[in-house]
Amino acid sequence: MTKKTTLNAGNLSAGYIMQEIVKSVSCSFTAGTFTGIIGPNGSGKTTLLRAFSRVLPSSGLLELDGKPIADFTPAELGMALGFVPQDEARPFSYSVMQVVLMARYARTSRFASLTPADYARCHTVLEETGIIHLKDRSIRALSGGEWQRVLIARALAQDTKVLLLDEPTSHLDLSHQSDALALMTDLAGTGSTIIGVFHDLNLAALFCDRLIMIKDGTLVADGTPTDVLTPEKIREVYGAEVVTARHPATGRTFLMPLSTRSCKTPGERETPLRVLVVSGGGSGADLLHLLAGRGYDLSAGILATTDTDYGVAEALGIPSIPILPFSQITAHALEKLRGMVVRADRIILPAHPVSAGNLPVLLVLREAGPAKVIVHLPAGREFASYDFAKGAAATAMTDLCSAGASCTSTYDGILAFLEQSDNNIPPQSE
Amino acid sequence: MTRTLPLIIGLAIAAVLTIVICTFIGPAGFGFVSTAPGAADIVGGIRLPRVLAAFFVGAGLAVAGAAMQSLFRNPMADPYILGTSSGGALGASLAIVFLGGFFVPVFAWIGAVVAILIVWSIAGRKGVISVETLLLTGIAVSFFFSAIVSFLIAIAGQNVHQILFWLMGGFWNASPSDAMLAAALLIPAGALLFFMGRDLNALSLGEETAAHLGIDATRARWTVLGASTLLVAGAVSIAGSIGFIGLVTPHIVRMLIGPDNRVVIPASILAGGIILVIADTLARTFFSDLPVGIITAFIGAPFFIWLIYQRGSTV
Repeated sequence: MTKKTTLNAGNLSAGYIMQEIVKSVSCSFTAGTFTGIIGPNGSGKTTLLRAFSRVLPSSGLLELDGKPIADFTPAELGMALGFVPQDEARPFSYSVMQVVLMARYARTSRFASLTPADYARCHTVLEETGIIHLKDRSIRALSGGEWQRVLIARALAQDTKVLLLDEPTSHLDLSHQSDALALMTDLAGTGSTIIGVFHDLNLAALFCDRLIMIKDGTLVADGTPTDVLTPEKIREVYGAEVVTARHPATGRTFLMPLSTRSCKTPGERETPLRVLVVSGGGSGADLLHLLAGRGYDLSAGILATTDTDYGVAEALGIPSIPILPFSQITAHALEKLRGMVVRADRIILPAHPVSAGNLPVLLVLREAGPAKVIVHLPAGREFASYDFAKGAAATAMTDLCSAGASCTSTYDGILAFLEQSDNNIPPQSE
Repeated sequence: MTRTLPLIIGLAIAAVLTIVICTFIGPAGFGFVSTAPGAADIVGGIRLPRVLAAFFVGAGLAVAGAAMQSLFRNPMADPYILGTSSGGALGASLAIVFLGGFFVPVFAWIGAVVAILIVWSIAGRKGVISVETLLLTGIAVSFFFSAIVSFLIAIAGQNVHQILFWLMGGFWNASPSDAMLAAALLIPAGALLFFMGRDLNALSLGEETAAHLGIDATRARWTVLGASTLLVAGAVSIAGSIGFIGLVTPHIVRMLIGPDNRVVIPASILAGGIILVIADTLARTFFSDLPVGIITAFIGAPFFIWLIYQRGSTV
């Protein structure tokens, strides 16, 4: 399947007086695709888009349908390429219809009137974008989101094969965002070339079939959302920590940011405190996330691969001992756990359901060193409510506490114990 | 769309009626059918040129104001904003102080054009001009020229009166050639701006927007500025700097029929002409020929405030 190249840029550089923003970017776009341009603030996304539309002078190769873009007359360009700006000043009270009709100027001689066909086309576009009810409203009376939809409608009414979008949904609410972008996807389906700058990476991943990532005016990645939106690339380009997952409904990649608020190494130690979280049934998920953000050297215990805690540990890159769901804990797994317990500076045990199956885990903790253990029991709960081993589990947990484990009902309590340990490392009990 | 054609036709009829009626009004009397001696000289030789000059000057100022407001995306812009009036004032003041009042119109015209050229060349120094740069440069140059005019007033001695009257604007010496000059400027420039109505609409949302809509934004900008400058410099050389018409007429028109420049441009031409003819007739008939600039603002400002109050909107 060979698709026609519409917009083609080679070694394209562009910018402002004395400042080159886009540096030697090469990329081409084919008919029937929806491409997202992503990158951090000030990376040159919008500059690149404005260079594409010729409102910014550029050097290098820039072709539209095989013809240098410099050779287009202004009217030809207005019929070949549409642009949706982020926002636009509204000094005069045009009606919505008047603004959308401006899309037809490129096709109309200055000595002629707009035709009934022009009016009909704009009417259709207003219906498609769901703003026909605003037709006669003054643009100055519109909300930011409504105005953005008018700008989208106007670009659509230009009937161009190439459409450039500069953060077209930044003012839109959730449902209008997906409506607008679904419309773009449909357009791409009918052979248009859609290129959009996006801030919201998840939105870009959801609707675009290709992403171009830009940093400091140069192209750093170009491919499918799954190829481009990796935690490593996001860290490199945005300096942010994220985890990726699959969208549960669409199977597309999506990102979740991790808190990077306090990444300091706790205390004055050269190596971070080694903390083992022994949890299950989702009881450790929040805790793992909280502690990961604080820079502790984390490990997780024995976890069934269907357990939420396992998913979190995997996403955060925390080592654990995975076992098959509903399987017996093997002696081998327990041996590995013993090793982790010995290596850990502190062990956190959030209260979680314990049955005969995972009871051996508690016994390992007890024999290896109750003093290192911090037990988290939410306020108002008792050990008995987690006991599914006919009293043996509750006894084991109570024993841990009486054998010197620290007990707390809050996460702040856990953090306080960890901070203590930072300053005063507990003796390594073998 | 449905209201615009009747409005334009109505304004055109009103313009003709205004010109005819005001020609037959004046302190010397003379009704429509007067056969008194000298009536033909006064009506045809003095009043008609004056009424026509006022009409074409008012039309030119109003249409230039409408175009500038769209170009600068600023409803507060007036046609003098790029320095035309202060340049004209400087030229006129120089002629009054140093040439004993001869060649005032010529010097006013030269001053107005020189001011604009200075503004363009300063603002365009780096090749790329934004309308914001143009606007700021225009304001700076205006202040500079006004300072020189103030200095001339300070040293003018007995000529102060003449400078001040010129600054307020009027049609005391309007001749048939003035009326013809104003018409000769208005007809081509007004037609040009009318056919650029859509360019002005697009430009009023921003030059980049205009370019994205298929408009040759740079060419449109220079064409609009060129046509407006010719109109305003002509007006200044004929009648001094008459305020208010250029700023407010387009607003009144937009309040009545909306901001579409395809309609605003012709309507401003007609309304600007009508307003200035009426103001000038009032000035020469009831106010012992005060400068018409005083009348336009004195009667126009309260009217404008009343309109704002009625409509609750300014554009």
